[in-house]
Amino acid sequence: MSTKGTRIPEWLTVPFAGITPAPTQEKGQDLFPTGNWRSIRPVYRDKLPPCNNACGTNEKIQGYLDLVKRGKYLDAYALIKEDMPFPSVTGRVCYHPCEQACNRGQYDEAISIRAVERFLGDLGQALQRDVVKPGKPNGKKVAVVGSGPAGHSAAYQLARLGYKVTILEKSPKAGGLNRGGIPDWVLPQDVLDREIERLIELGIAIKTNTEVGKDVSLDSLKKDYDAVVLAVGLTDPNSVRAEGENKEGVIYGLPFLRDIGMGTSKVKLGARVAVIGGGNTAIDCAREALRQGAVEVTMITVEGNPKEMPCVPEDFHDMTEEGVELIHGRAMTAVLGNGQVEALQLYPAKFSGAINASPITINKDVPAEKFAVDNVIVAVGQHASLAWLPAEFKNERGTIKVDRFGRLGDTNFFAAGDIVQLGSGQPLMVVNAVGDGKRVAFNLDKALRGETLEPRKIAIDVIVDLNRMNMTYFPHFPRVKQDMLNPTSRKKTQDEVILAFTEEQAVEEAGRCFSCGTCNACDNCYLVCPEPCIARSDRSNGLYKILVDYCKGCRVCIEECPTGCLEGVPELDFDAGVVRMDTAFAISPGLHGRQAQELANLASRPAKEL
Amino acid sequence: MPAIEVQRQTLPILGNPNQGARFYNPDLPASEPFVPGHRTCAGCGPSIQYRMTSKASGDNTILVGPTGCMYVANSSYLCTPYNVPWAHTQIGSAGSFTAGVAAAYEAMIRKGKYKGTFPNVICEAGDGSASDIGLASISGALYRNHDCLIICYDNEQYANTGIQASSRTPYGGMTTFSPPGPKVPEAKTLYPKDLARMMAAGHPHCYVATASVGYPIDLMNKVRKGLNHKGAAYLMIYTPCQKGFVYETPRSIDLGRLVVECGLYPMWEWNPEKREYDYSFRPQSMRPVSEYLKLQGRFGHLHAEHIANLQKFANQQWGMMGVQLPEALIKAADPKNQVNMAAAAEAEAVAQTL
Amino acid sequence: MATATETIKKRTVRINGCVAAAQAAKYADVDVITAYPIRPYTATMMALAQMVANGELDAEYIVADSEHSQLSIAHGASSSGARVFTGSSGVGVQFAYELYSPISGSRMPVQMMIADRTLDPPGDFGSEHTDALSTRDMGWIMGWSCDAQEAFDNHLMGYRIGEDPRVLLPQMVCQDGFFVSHITTDVELPDPGQVKEFLPPYKHPYPLDPRRPVSHGPQIMPEQGPPLQLERARAMEGCMPVIEEIHEEFARIFGRRYDAWLEEYKTDDAEIVFFLQGGHAVTLRFAINHMREKGLKVGMVRLRTIRPYPTERVRETLSKFKVVGVIETNMGLGSVSSGGSLYAEVAAALYESPKRPQIVSFMAGMGGEAIVLKEFYWMAEKMMEAQKHGKIEKRTHWVGFEE
Repeated sequence: MSTKGTRIPEWLTVPFAGITPAPTQEKGQDLFPTGNWRSIRPVYRDKLPPCNNACGTNEKIQGYLDLVKRGKYLDAYALIKEDMPFPSVTGRVCYHPCEQACNRGQYDEAISIRAVERFLGDLGQALQRDVVKPGKPNGKKVAVVGSGPAGHSAAYQLARLGYKVTILEKSPKAGGLNRGGIPDWVLPQDVLDREIERLIELGIAIKTNTEVGKDVSLDSLKKDYDAVVLAVGLTDPNSVRAEGENKEGVIYGLPFLRDIGMGTSKVKLGARVAVIGGGNTAIDCAREALRQGAVEVTMITVEGNPKEMPCVPEDFHDMTEEGVELIHGRAMTAVLGNGQVEALQLYPAKFSGAINASPITINKDVPAEKFAVDNVIVAVGQHASLAWLPAEFKNERGTIKVDRFGRLGDTNFFAAGDIVQLGSGQPLMVVNAVGDGKRVAFNLDKALRGETLEPRKIAIDVIVDLNRMNMTYFPHFPRVKQDMLNPTSRKKTQDEVILAFTEEQAVEEAGRCFSCGTCNACDNCYLVCPEPCIARSDRSNGLYKILVDYCKGCRVCIEECPTGCLEGVPELDFDAGVVRMDTAFAISPGLHGRQAQELANLASRPAKEL
Repeated sequence: MPAIEVQRQTLPILGNPNQGARFYNPDLPASEPFVPGHRTCAGCGPSIQYRMTSKASGDNTILVGPTGCMYVANSSYLCTPYNVPWAHTQIGSAGSFTAGVAAAYEAMIRKGKYKGTFPNVICEAGDGSASDIGLASISGALYRNHDCLIICYDNEQYANTGIQASSRTPYGGMTTFSPPGPKVPEAKTLYPKDLARMMAAGHPHCYVATASVGYPIDLMNKVRKGLNHKGAAYLMIYTPCQKGFVYETPRSIDLGRLVVECGLYPMWEWNPEKREYDYSFRPQSMRPVSEYLKLQGRFGHLHAEHIANLQKFANQQWGMMGVQLPEALIKAADPKNQVNMAAAAEAEAVAQTL
Repeated sequence: MATATETIKKRTVRINGCVAAAQAAKYADVDVITAYPIRPYTATMMALAQMVANGELDAEYIVADSEHSQLSIAHGASSSGARVFTGSSGVGVQFAYELYSPISGSRMPVQMMIADRTLDPPGDFGSEHTDALSTRDMGWIMGWSCDAQEAFDNHLMGYRIGEDPRVLLPQMVCQDGFFVSHITTDVELPDPGQVKEFLPPYKHPYPLDPRRPVSHGPQIMPEQGPPLQLERARAMEGCMPVIEEIHEEFARIFGRRYDAWLEEYKTDDAEIVFFLQGGHAVTLRFAINHMREKGLKVGMVRLRTIRPYPTERVRETLSKFKVVGVIETNMGLGSVSSGGSLYAEVAAALYESPKRPQIVSFMAGMGGEAIVLKEFYWMAEKMMEAQKHGKIEKRTHWVGFEE
């Protein structure tokens, strides 16, 4: 026999007839750790979605839209409540900087985020017991001065942290600008009432008709409380410094709306009303005027055209639908009439520098215009009323001086909201006040516990470039529109003008969200990998794993990720987890012998489950 | 002894990942019969397809691998990445070895020699095997209606041997057997065989369909439909090859979409019960062929008239699908409206000498 | 479907070699049959088709699209654990050539019935052994039967040998086209119980089974080649004792005893012997009887198994004689003897023998012609002349074309 005396050395042993045992799904074919082929490795890194970034209180918007897509409305509501105490309010009133920032706006139409938030907020209001609970009491007491958005937010977060919170509100009803600055046909009273109720359910005490500097002194606050949040807002209306501004029939915007909101209004409007101002308050005043009996309402703005007006375009559109007339490029220099407003003196005017942040230049070279009205509502902004505050805590703008943590010096007094935001460059919005109140609450808590305070975080890598995502997975779909009341009939009532999304509409609209830069477990990377070397146990952000022993760095996953949360990291050195293949053989001697052994034992191992 | 009835499994069809505006892949089975640790190129289109196919089929599967990249590159060094049984067979034996496996299981189950559900028998043949040397054996298997699924993973060339022309290589496609040169500026003068239609027309009792890695869920559903069909099924699947097509590796799926969007690879299904074609598949957009060609080095030598010829061919495919041609695509079939590929001038200037 | 064999007892029938092979497949309860028509083996497949249609045999009967497909189907079916039967003739055997090495190398015990036939060009239905012989290096167990009974027996033994866990090799059970395949003789068909005792069910250790997944035939690098080739060589050599053991077993159960390697006919005192394979042995036995009556010390050694080649037995046996006349019913163009292929196999076996006969090769029965008695006498003359002169005239004689 010619094969007599032959011996196959151990390192050349091969399985019977070259039949190899199957590799397992757990280990893969570990004779070939192809991970050492690559020069670029994919990593999952969530970027900051522009909506989360633009939101004044950094709501996790992408997160809750994703939950709505999946029908998990309660979880979505709970997610909003981490940063925003009253989504049913902001879902109606917010100027939605998130929607302006929404990347879908570059593609077809921005997501109607505010409407989805309203859907969730209203769902939350319907709950018998809210998902948010007060924190374990820590025995400390905090006073919050002002029950507007900033105060409401600060009180809410402090109660969740376990503080005993008392809100001091000078008006007869709580709510601040939510109550008094926003008309009922935007934010119905009972919706706001329910939110105030929620504060009480958290164990917060609210003392209305209590004014600091009158009913309560600053010193008593220092004595009775461990810390204080001043969220007093800008309550005094600005004047245009026109001659005769003190005549009867001249009304100021914010008090006009506030008194109606508090139920204490005694104003009776004549048929012809003018509104001075081009901001959101002016628009609300103009529309409220119609509902208060005015027949002809004219808005007079210094801004030369609607685009320059510092207002939300859709509100401007809704106003013109209701029939408000516009006069642009004019300033009111005098109020004419015999003790009572009869007409306004107008001159052409423009802002001398940046729009509505600089003084107005009036052109008196041309004849004045006379504009006959029965009332004029001046809505050109507000300023602070801080007589009760020591001068050391005031700044040159007339507002409260705080450090970058919102703290007054090294006292236990903090300030938040419009009262510190005026002139800071941030627009004065409810959501910005909420965010401010939240951050101040956390810093207050840190201060009382002796921890380091945190300034507002700077956004890193906000994803705004559609090229970083994959648009082929997103066909064009138009924005789902909220139904609205008919313009002619609605201007005669206080009924809510914009109607809510149905559940189907909310889900449909949330479905349009790209989930910019944030993994939403669509499984695309998992599905297209050629190896495959992307593993996951459950489908969830954070549970996808690249098997680096095998990944060849082809980057198909990165290309096909719809949200752009995968990126490539150059690798020149391989870390210890990857084995280099130095030779053409299997990576260690006798590895095929191991296969031979495995094959021989095949019959004795249990059968595979099918 | 009395014959035992052969039990066959039915696999559920996966839901559409496009639910309104939302993109979300349906839940996929957890089992991975195709495991990592194989020597295919990074981004390999056929590998992507192989993994999707085996995932759709599940653990009760037997794979047949005729010679080709999905044999050589997937094994090498005496090991394979299959957690299900797999056998190599000759490049021309694609249909016949597969038929043997299917027939063996029919007999063994019926005669009580194997106790279990009939396995999914899948042959993964490259286009070289399916369209050329193995054509007869596949036709035989389809004609005899063995309960199996034969897949042609179409990378439009013989890839494993170093990129040579097959009867699926497109007009104008450069390969080492069809290089461009002054005598043959388009490199390849022949148009490819209409392979999938041959299979449908010739074996109307079989389920036949085309698919592409650009549409993964559709691919997996067609695999399942083929496996559920009692009898033979055939899929021709577009699977781009980075080495032969010469493109950036991350683009493998993208090319799979583009080839369909420009009409060069129509997606249809042949219904064996109704005996008719289903041409209802519509890609998201219609594009001129140049958008597909320009991404690949293998077309870099084309002149305007060649591109126009390909557009004409694509327009014919759209016509077959019953799609109204937009003006732009009709115009694009005229050489006057095309420009040479960037590398066309160089390709012509170089006289290829060995 | 119930097979009818259980109700049939041992009996003698008058059938030809083709039908005998079909009967053997039926008794072996094959699972998959792959057929493709080519003369003269087709009759086997025709008989099997009728058996399957009648319900006498439960098997998948597949009409393949070519011989290459036939063997591929057989390969696939055997790999899955089914007992397979296939066959071919002439150029058909060669059309399937690509599959022979893969089937034997992957250790699949496929059985192929070959009713041999002259190779093209041109078409010639007559018998030559070249078709199967041209595949002799491919690792199949191969041998010729000389009559229908031996064919039936060899087919049964083939399955038993090939499927033995110590062997696991495919078999080509060959018979001369027409002379064996189409001439009817008496064949004893056994009792099914005897077959059941002799032939256990086929069980490959590593079939394609989803419950125990394995990979058959992954690509290798050249470094892994040598041990795999050595294992194949070991399998071929290692099956020899098993072949002998099983012939013993066959004799015990069925009462017919065959020597595994050689049939010796009147060789005890022979000085010149004919060496050949297959059906012409039947005529040769008559020729030898006649020559013996004339006082010639002539005998026959018939090779029953050519692969694995019984080198030692051939050497031991043939070295006893003075002259060996190798009857080549095959073409080995350009071979050592400028004639057929058997000469070299015989000469090499005898090379180490201190006592070596003279070897001469006869091209006879070419193209399917019968070797008539006259031609045997002529060949014997030539051998005697060589014995007388102490040397051969030339290595190869073309019988019928020389003085």
